[in-house]
Amino acid sequence: MVARRFQTVTVMEASAVLISTLIGVGVLALPRFAAEAGNTGGPLVTLLGLVIALVGLALVTMVGMRFPRESIVQYGERVIGRWPARVGTALLILYFAALTSLTAREFGMVVVTSVLERTPVAITTIVMLVMAAVSSRSNMSTFAYAHLFYLPFILIPGFGIVLLAMKNATWLNVQPWLGNNPHPMSMATGALTIAALCQGSFVMTFVVPAMREPRRALRSSVWAMVVASALYLLTVLTTIAVFGAEATKLLLWPTLELAKTTMLPGQVLERLDALFLIVWVTAVFTSLYSTYALTARALQELSGLRDHKLLCVFLLPYVFVIAMLPRDILQMYRAIEWLGRIGLVLTVGYPLLLLIVAVCRKQRGELDAEA
Amino acid sequence: MTIWQRLTRFTARSNPNPLPPDQVLAQHQDDSYSGDIHATVSFFQHLFGVNGDWVIRHIRVFGRYEAVLLYFSNLVNRALVSESLMQALLRPPEHVGTGKLAKPDLRRVLMEETVYYGEVYSDNRLMRLAEALFRGDTVLLVDGLPEGIVISTRDVEHRSITQPMTEQSIRGARDGFVELLATNIALLRYRLQTPNLRVKLQTLGQLTKTKVAVCYIEGVTNPALLQEVEDRLAAINIDGIIDAGTIEQFIEDNHWSPFPQVQNSERPDKCMAQLLEGRVVILTDGTPFALIVPAVFSQFYQTMDDYAERPLMGSLIRLVRIVALIFSLVFPALYVSVISFNPELIPTMFAVAVAGGRAGVPFPAVIEVLIMEVSMEVLREATLRLPQQVGGALSIVGVLVIGQAAVAAGFASPITVVVVALTTIGSFATPAYNAAIALRILRFLLTILAGIWGLYGVMLGLILISHHMLSLRSFGVPYLSPLVPGDWEGIKDTFMRAPLWWMPKRPRQLKPVNPERLGRETMNVFLQQPSHTLDPVRPRKLE
Repeated sequence: MVARRFQTVTVMEASAVLISTLIGVGVLALPRFAAEAGNTGGPLVTLLGLVIALVGLALVTMVGMRFPRESIVQYGERVIGRWPARVGTALLILYFAALTSLTAREFGMVVVTSVLERTPVAITTIVMLVMAAVSSRSNMSTFAYAHLFYLPFILIPGFGIVLLAMKNATWLNVQPWLGNNPHPMSMATGALTIAALCQGSFVMTFVVPAMREPRRALRSSVWAMVVASALYLLTVLTTIAVFGAEATKLLLWPTLELAKTTMLPGQVLERLDALFLIVWVTAVFTSLYSTYALTARALQELSGLRDHKLLCVFLLPYVFVIAMLPRDILQMYRAIEWLGRIGLVLTVGYPLLLLIVAVCRKQRGELDAEA
Repeated sequence: MTIWQRLTRFTARSNPNPLPPDQVLAQHQDDSYSGDIHATVSFFQHLFGVNGDWVIRHIRVFGRYEAVLLYFSNLVNRALVSESLMQALLRPPEHVGTGKLAKPDLRRVLMEETVYYGEVYSDNRLMRLAEALFRGDTVLLVDGLPEGIVISTRDVEHRSITQPMTEQSIRGARDGFVELLATNIALLRYRLQTPNLRVKLQTLGQLTKTKVAVCYIEGVTNPALLQEVEDRLAAINIDGIIDAGTIEQFIEDNHWSPFPQVQNSERPDKCMAQLLEGRVVILTDGTPFALIVPAVFSQFYQTMDDYAERPLMGSLIRLVRIVALIFSLVFPALYVSVISFNPELIPTMFAVAVAGGRAGVPFPAVIEVLIMEVSMEVLREATLRLPQQVGGALSIVGVLVIGQAAVAAGFASPITVVVVALTTIGSFATPAYNAAIALRILRFLLTILAGIWGLYGVMLGLILISHHMLSLRSFGVPYLSPLVPGDWEGIKDTFMRAPLWWMPKRPRQLKPVNPERLGRETMNVFLQQPSHTLDPVRPRKLE
């Protein structure tokens, strides 16, 4: 496995991987999901979703730290047996292939709708997928470097837009905090949808074995979650405060609309939405890069191949076909919400199962078992 | 003799494929000089006799011993050979007397008491003697003495040390490397007068036998790095090393990347600074360019001026250069995408002005920019290759055609000319020519992407480029270090140039043996209040 040879990822790089994976195309639609689930209680729903996501990420990290030099594919086979684990891995691969394709499709839709109106959506989608496939060929240390390098290009525009938009905010719009006529069932569903936006963080299972000090992995997970949560919460809070909950529900990508209402001081650029969207390509790319690499690496380990480079290329047509399956934007969002919630069972449940079984069987991995 | 015999002898003599001399020598690799000068001279004469500058000079050493001097007349210092060497050999030293000397004594007298040249040694293998001849040494064979005496008499015409042409500096040393390896090593040694400076010589190239010097500082440079450099050099088996570039292309990590992964420099002071940071410098005989490994991207926009000036000035100048670098990469692409896809981004008044300027231009913006960029590149290349006498005329014509006439003819809009000009000037501000070329090539890629997908395409291109840079390694050092992976000590010397006393450590990515470059106390001394020696009210008194 390539990851074993490069045990160079630092805590900061691991956090960067997680942050830039968590912040992606989902942020564009996030306030709509939140407002649909809890109207003025959107921030609360987001907070709930983030707590669920944090629990999931903590589980993945903890089970990873228990087997610090192996990935979930390898220790899964040791913990619950060869074939059950293979089924689990296969499901994970399918799920992340679908997640990758839907992310690419979603962003392809965003681009086609807002900047390149005459370009077919297939083109914008496949371009993003090709970028992810080409990049995924690189090794684990380049993977970590790339996320660290792009982090400022994600955080600065992300927080920048939100902070600039705050001067248009009417804070009465987000009251009452609990939402108007809160509906527990829809709030719970919304929280799950938002938690599902954070599933890219599952990539941590491949980052931990490549870390220099795997025992500090939990620290980087928590830090990453704190930073990403801050952006998620501020985005939802500001968007609902600016537009109001009912208007937010009607906007397809409320965060993009938020960028439209803001202006940079200094009168250099007249509108920010196109620029924001373009800068956001980086954020989407890093998320795609993570999930694509995750799929390719899991597939490589499952198939027992030595190298994942060819798999990155072979995966491309399948992922593209999945991306083109939804007929229109409505079907796509229904698929994203539905698949996300199903996926939670997999990305939280499978590590939880492994952790419980491993604790019961008193199994754990050596730090330098195969060094 | 019958006709038949004559014919067969003729064909036998004119062997159509005689072996080249180096293969003949290789056949006689283990043969040694026996002391029989006639056999040896005829052997050498057979091999080298074709050459016009091949000299066999029969002499009588001390008037008694039959001997022969062999050399190539254009490689040696002829005045020295005929005056100092010949005179010394012909007249016996006074204490020798008139009696016959025993063989070992003769050798000792010759080597230790007669020849007064810097380097003299004896060797008896014919192959070694032949190699010495081609290096420019003179070989003395004495009849009966079973060893050849090699005297280094090499003298090759060379250019004197001049200011480096490719790397100008305002403030800093004015000397640059020349073609001769010995001079270049001298320039380095003169700047680094420490026994720790090691210069390892090796010969590369089957036919050129080029001398290559690997220079490093013992106790600073990581031994593993040195080993890797030597391994990569040793793996080169080629007929000739034409230039340092030949070596560069064999030792670099990624052969298809547009980015240079080995730095080259004409400046001894730069090489010295890099040696002090823990890098390895490779000097090649016959080229004025030293190779410096490993190289990271930030090195290609740093200059010696940054360090010679005070930190604030150095940092500002460096920032200007970084801006120029980014300009030269993205400016035309941004222009094309804003004009063709997102005119709403720029203020309305300006957008109207741009549209007015473009009114008569028949092409889309991307074609217009590409045409202008290509003609600019042609102009640049032509100015570079032209004899200097016509260079001035060309630049005037070029400026007229590209600047004034293109706009007047409705071929390009004035703003395009401004954009192209700014881009070109920006790329000239990058001190390393090869890095500037890389960015110039990528600029075309970005412009085309901008023409297809606007800002979205530019962003995709930038991500691809940065991802490629992130995956590059030079001798294992990540190309974008010290920025990624982050190293605070190193970042002080990337965008800014921190004060020297603030950078007490050598760059960590080079893993130097001794990371400290500043004495412990120096920093404390510099941070103290300066003593007001000549204070107008209360001057300090000497005790």
